[in-house]
Amino acid sequence: MTRPLSDGSTSGRGLVVGLVLGVPVMLVGVRSAVVDARDTHPAELSRWLIGAAAGHDLVLLPVIGTLAWTLRRVVPAAAWPAARAGAIVIGTLALVSWPYARGYGASPGNPSLLPRDYVLGPVVASAAIAAATAVVALVAFVRHRRRIS
Amino acid sequence: MTQDPVDTRAGAWLGLALGITFGLCFATGLWSHVLQHPPDWFTPPPRPAGLYRLTQGLHVATGTAAIPLLLAKLWVVRRRLTEWPPVRSVVHAVERLALLPLVGGAVFLLLSGTANVARWYPWHFYFPAAHYAAAWITVGALVVHVGAKAGTTMAVVRRPGPGPSAEPGERARSDRRAFLLGVAAASGTLVVATAGGTVPVLSPVSVLAQRRPGQGPQGLPVNKTAAAAEVVDAALDPAYRLVISGPAGERALSLAELRALPQHQARLPISCVEGWSATARWRGVRVQDLLALVDAADAEAVLVESLQRSGRYRASRLSGAHIRDADTLLALELDGEALDLDHGFPARLIAPGRPGVLQTKWVARLVLP
Repeated sequence: MTRPLSDGSTSGRGLVVGLVLGVPVMLVGVRSAVVDARDTHPAELSRWLIGAAAGHDLVLLPVIGTLAWTLRRVVPAAAWPAARAGAIVIGTLALVSWPYARGYGASPGNPSLLPRDYVLGPVVASAAIAAATAVVALVAFVRHRRRIS
Repeated sequence: MTQDPVDTRAGAWLGLALGITFGLCFATGLWSHVLQHPPDWFTPPPRPAGLYRLTQGLHVATGTAAIPLLLAKLWVVRRRLTEWPPVRSVVHAVERLALLPLVGGAVFLLLSGTANVARWYPWHFYFPAAHYAAAWITVGALVVHVGAKAGTTMAVVRRPGPGPSAEPGERARSDRRAFLLGVAAASGTLVVATAGGTVPVLSPVSVLAQRRPGQGPQGLPVNKTAAAAEVVDAALDPAYRLVISGPAGERALSLAELRALPQHQARLPISCVEGWSATARWRGVRVQDLLALVDAADAEAVLVESLQRSGRYRASRLSGAHIRDADTLLALELDGEALDLDHGFPARLIAPGRPGVLQTKWVARLVLP
């Protein structure tokens, strides 16, 4: 008989220990932001920190949810684990590729910086991952059909 | 509210992985910071020569690997965003409050780090300073969160067997395993896609690598060109002189006089804070020999100044330990040829174990601080 887990509940004693150790560490960062204000622009940095959390929760999370919901309804259940894994890999690759693909950092006077085709490369890599995912998903689907027939 | 037990297990494993990656990122980031801004009580060690290459490569790689881990963790715990009641107790309220700097800071660190490697700066603050301050805030919030959740995580890690009694069996375990494998594959893919700038064997498949090994003047990538630094005329001026000042006064040496001094060779890497690195064979005059010309061979520090008139990295401080290292050179040649203008012609600093931004190019003066 297994004992149920604490199920994500918060440990009060652990939280106190965490606060005693963690708050001074946070204050080092706050102090650094204030003392070095000419470089850190504390007001703008605060907006970025809050905006990063809000952007994730209000924009990225719903987009991921919608894509996952759509994919879940299109892909057969037996192929879902493989399809989801492939989607995670391709999705994060696309996300990280974005600033490269837009060419924000390109410098015409320095050809050694960002020297690749940052659209074609990720597209080819994504196509290869999608093909591998399709094979794995197809194998899982066929195995499932054989099992139930 | 009942928490989905599958989410709890996946969340615990992802939390553990994030704790490791953020811990490594923080430690290597601190190392980079103290090398660039050493406190009075710390002297940056010149050896091992490739240590910074390793730590900064690790910093960027673990930060990149953390992107899918963080997104997956936030996905797994997404239901807590809308849980009701939003606050159950004082302890719960404090724990939830600490999530704002944790989530905001973690997303910001990975976003800004990725943008920095892609050379994209959609903000007005100075990236290293803001990234550094945000790292302390985020890690502090992480410590608070770990304190609150360590019990749950340890229970999951210690009991990987059948799981909570409410778990619907093998299918749920298999589903969770497939999800976590997908996240791990995403982390691995991103590392391979970006690490080719410092691990040449990965270069052919590193579709997002910021650099290509061997590409650049004399086969070495360039961070700042002479044109961007506005030193072309000064660097090519035949009247160029390296000025060394010390207790015995000032010496001004032409390029021909520098070449006439005893030359030494060192094989050292250029290791950029953006994660790429490349090794080259440098040849030039030992900095200690140059300082000896003005009776400063045993100096505890020297300021290396560039021909650049402005810029945060127009000068760098070299510690006594570095001055006395036999491989610390004022390099005049790279791989058997005179330095390319973009690599610092007529003379540049090259020393072991230093970030690339401190390997001052177009050196004009060596001054005791």
